[in-house]
Amino acid sequence: MADLIAPMSGKVQKVLVAVGDKVEVDDEVIILEAMKMESPIFAPESGTVKEIKVNAGDNVAEEQVLIVIE
Amino acid sequence: MGRKQTPLRPYFEKMPDIGKALSDAEVRRTEENVGLLKEQEDLIKEAIEKVRLSGTPAEALHKRGQMTAYDRLEYLVDPGTWCSLHTLYNPADNEEGCTGVIDGIGKIEGKWAIIIAFDNKVMAGAWIAGQAENILRVTDLAKRLNVPLVWLTNCSGVKLMEQENVYADRRGSGACFYRHAELNQLGVPILNAIYGTNPAGGGYQGISPTILLAHKDANIAVGGAGIVGGMNPKGYFDLESAEALIEATKGFKAKAPGRVETHFDETAYFREVHDTEKGVLDGIKDYMKTLPAYDPSFFRVAEPAEPKFAVEDLNRIVPFNQKRPYDALQVVARITDNSEFNEYRPDYGVEVFTGIAKIDGFPVGIIGNRQGIFPKYPEYADYPGVGGKHYRQGLIKQSEFVTLCGRDNLPVIWLQDTTGIDVGDVAEQAELLALGQSLIYSIEKTDISMMCVILRKGSAAAHYIMGGPQANNNNAFTLGTPLTEIYVMHGETAAAASYARRLVKEQEAGRSLEPVIEKMNQMVQEYVDKSRPIYCAKRGFVDEVIALPDLRKYCVAFTGANYQNPKSITPVHQMILPRTIKG
Repeated sequence: MADLIAPMSGKVQKVLVAVGDKVEVDDEVIILEAMKMESPIFAPESGTVKEIKVNAGDNVAEEQVLIVIE
Repeated sequence: MGRKQTPLRPYFEKMPDIGKALSDAEVRRTEENVGLLKEQEDLIKEAIEKVRLSGTPAEALHKRGQMTAYDRLEYLVDPGTWCSLHTLYNPADNEEGCTGVIDGIGKIEGKWAIIIAFDNKVMAGAWIAGQAENILRVTDLAKRLNVPLVWLTNCSGVKLMEQENVYADRRGSGACFYRHAELNQLGVPILNAIYGTNPAGGGYQGISPTILLAHKDANIAVGGAGIVGGMNPKGYFDLESAEALIEATKGFKAKAPGRVETHFDETAYFREVHDTEKGVLDGIKDYMKTLPAYDPSFFRVAEPAEPKFAVEDLNRIVPFNQKRPYDALQVVARITDNSEFNEYRPDYGVEVFTGIAKIDGFPVGIIGNRQGIFPKYPEYADYPGVGGKHYRQGLIKQSEFVTLCGRDNLPVIWLQDTTGIDVGDVAEQAELLALGQSLIYSIEKTDISMMCVILRKGSAAAHYIMGGPQANNNNAFTLGTPLTEIYVMHGETAAAASYARRLVKEQEAGRSLEPVIEKMNQMVQEYVDKSRPIYCAKRGFVDEVIALPDLRKYCVAFTGANYQNPKSITPVHQMILPRTIKG
């Protein structure tokens, strides 16, 4: 099991996966927006999306868990 | 022979590895990026093709037994070495779609030269608007790199209908002949292959280089034979004078002055005359063999090597979406020999990277912007740093690095993707204004050649402080890519700055805001239209727009030309920069 963690604070611009989706390591799963830039967040390992803890538009803090991959 | 080695081997033979192969996921998710870049590349190719087809069709010249300037260049230049420049340059928006000259860097008989040809399809190589500026860029380039200038002259003189845009002015067409004189005085030879009729300015174009080789039908002269009417004493034309002109033209049999009979047989200005067009080019090749050039091994610090990673990866690494960050060292890893890079002060001024690399075995300095967000940086601010911006440490680092490159005679390649320099009172207190100008001072203080690439954004003062084309004495040339955008600030920022007060006034007066909003949006669109790669090339903001995978080839040409005949040498074993990096 792997938690996808926000590497910085910002706003969730897009969630690119749904619960149950299979993801490969390094797949782009969430786009965070901070400092006028888009920062893609990649899957740390392959697996299935078990839980999505944020929605597009949410503000998130650094190190907050965004998605759980199993 | 006994034992042999490259200089300062412990520093240069094997430098730190950088970069990594793209993962399967990276390849997968960058397919769209490749497609978007391809669209831009296609637009650029289309624009280039239009320039190539400008003027008389090539077939028409072929039927007359003539070669086009493109044919001549292809025959002259060593295969695979041509790096075109100024292809889309057309600052005066000429109807011809170009400035009537074709130029670039290429090798002839194994030696680098700056090569420029009159496009004989375009009004038989006429002087048209913007051409003088193009030529001055080319002569400046030969001066900067200290390599021979090779002309393929075929110049019919001023396009008389537009003389006011061509002839006069400080940087008008005659200025080029002063540049030729300057190059000669600096010891930079100019070889001239002369074709066709070259009257007046064409005559000076013929006579001003160092060595003149002519085709049998060529002529160069103070004035042409075409001015048959002479002065019209009435001061205007009427039917009578028009008919007189017709008669004079019909009876006009005079040959063009300054033909081979004169300038080979009598004055002996022409060193050689050739019966065929190719013969003249063979003559140029033979003269190139006589010119001095160091063997590359004299300056190489290692055997040349290709980058470990494919240059085509660049179309996946640099995102089309300007808001997306990327790993800039992955770009460097696709340019440098063996994908090696010895970074100078990597932990200081992290928003920029500076370091030494090898290009085709020669040592160079490379400077560029890192992308992404830097949470605990800059040290003077309570906000995070953003890649592409410049902060105090980064500016200091670049100044130090450039100064050391100047001391060690290392040419510098700049990889710009910059949105500007940090602003605000804290930035002022951090001395960013003075540090930006200090970087300019450091560049000007050196006498090294620089090549600048606007990978994506060139914006605000950062565009010029980072060795941009404004560094007239150092910048050899500047390249754009299909992703290049050059503007003083983003269009929305500019529109807000221009119309904010107006919006307030309109609102206070109870008037509709719509007309102002419309103007603001127009301004935003204009900023987009006037910052695109083709526009940048047309206006000369960049000297050429190239596909990203061609970047290595241009770096090789720049570096090789730089080391062909350098004006100043630092013995490699006396270089300080590699030692400074090691500590």
